[in-house]
Amino acid sequence: MEAPPVSVMPVTGGAINMMEYLLQGSVLDQSLESLLHRLRGLCDNMEPESFADHELVYLLKGQQGNPFLLRARRSLLHPPAPWHLRYLGQPEVGDKSRLALVRNCVDVSASHGLPEVLNEMGFRMDHEFVAKGQLFRKGGMKVVVSKLSRVLVPGNTENTEPLSLSYLVELSVLAPAGQDTVSEDMRSFAEQLKPLVHLEKIDPKRLM
Amino acid sequence: MGVTCVCQVPVSEGKSVQQTVDILHKKLEQLGAVKQGNFWVDCETYHATGNATGQPSKLLYVMHNSETPLSCMALFEGGPGLSADANFDVLMVKLKSHFQNAKGHKVESRGVRYRYCDFLVKIGTVAMSSSARGISVEVEYCACVIPGDCWNLMKEFMQSFLGSNTPELPTVFTSKAEGLSVPVDCMDTMSQYLELFGRVRKQQVLPGSGVR
Repeated sequence: MEAPPVSVMPVTGGAINMMEYLLQGSVLDQSLESLLHRLRGLCDNMEPESFADHELVYLLKGQQGNPFLLRARRSLLHPPAPWHLRYLGQPEVGDKSRLALVRNCVDVSASHGLPEVLNEMGFRMDHEFVAKGQLFRKGGMKVVVSKLSRVLVPGNTENTEPLSLSYLVELSVLAPAGQDTVSEDMRSFAEQLKPLVHLEKIDPKRLM
Repeated sequence: MGVTCVCQVPVSEGKSVQQTVDILHKKLEQLGAVKQGNFWVDCETYHATGNATGQPSKLLYVMHNSETPLSCMALFEGGPGLSADANFDVLMVKLKSHFQNAKGHKVESRGVRYRYCDFLVKIGTVAMSSSARGISVEVEYCACVIPGDCWNLMKEFMQSFLGSNTPELPTVFTSKAEGLSVPVDCMDTMSQYLELFGRVRKQQVLPGSGVR
């Protein structure tokens, strides 16, 4: 069968070309309290948001090339809340002088039929985990301190086991492409968290 | 939103699509319905470019509705569906190496939106590659979300201007396992449009039917 003509459709809505600027680090369980205390002092004057999310990582394997990866998250604390679907592009390479990891990012809020639709689209769940922690904000910056747990029985988020004896710390900003000054702000904020936590630009490919 | 019913109205014999639409407008205005802006519903078709498993893939439809302008609906025919925010369109662009947009298959319905008391009526010209293929009529009873409770009222209202073209209770409601007492949502409306667009796609082009 001949394929119908293909073209890129004009996007009517949505925010195209948003980038995620990211710095990552970790703290041991016993140092958590001092980090949280420091963050309460440095961040915007509000109670940090507690969250417990179940994240499912889906892969779509094509005939060639890398599989396409999507992350679907749902809140365990607010089950009626929409699902959060996230696409993250490959980290931008070439600019070693950049202070943070920069990658394309598309965030979509979706209704609860999401897993069924992803399955129908050909996506298969690769792995899942539970992230529990707290979210701090400082202006446009987001600091997420979370404990990642492995799901022991597929789909059962009650039955989990911590992945490690530490907490993941992520400092991120969402901004349109080309706003590299945000990474400088992030860097100076990260400086203020030393020596409690060292936030660094980590290339996810290095970890694979 | 309320319970909706979407149906296709055949073009009157000896008349063009536009003339038939005009007749419907006139009937509604005689009833006392008031024009309240325009509306549109569109549907893009995507097909998978090939998956590793080799099984035939279904078509994915991505739809938009002017009634919910910040949302985007993704559906499979007779299968699961979801509503998402407009960033889903951006995601489909990212997915273009796996899902191709069959541009020639884009179908849309555009027309006038009328209000008659608690009813919204949308008369649209269904077009594919800018040639008119038919007429869609959507009736929404805004005061109720349970199809079983208001279908008879809706039917009676539709008879007043559609006459013998009044449709039966949409299958999207009758096929639900929970029956007619579950509240409707925007996906029910979109599935009805998807069904209608599917019929229109298969249909022959009407002679002399250029629109706009």
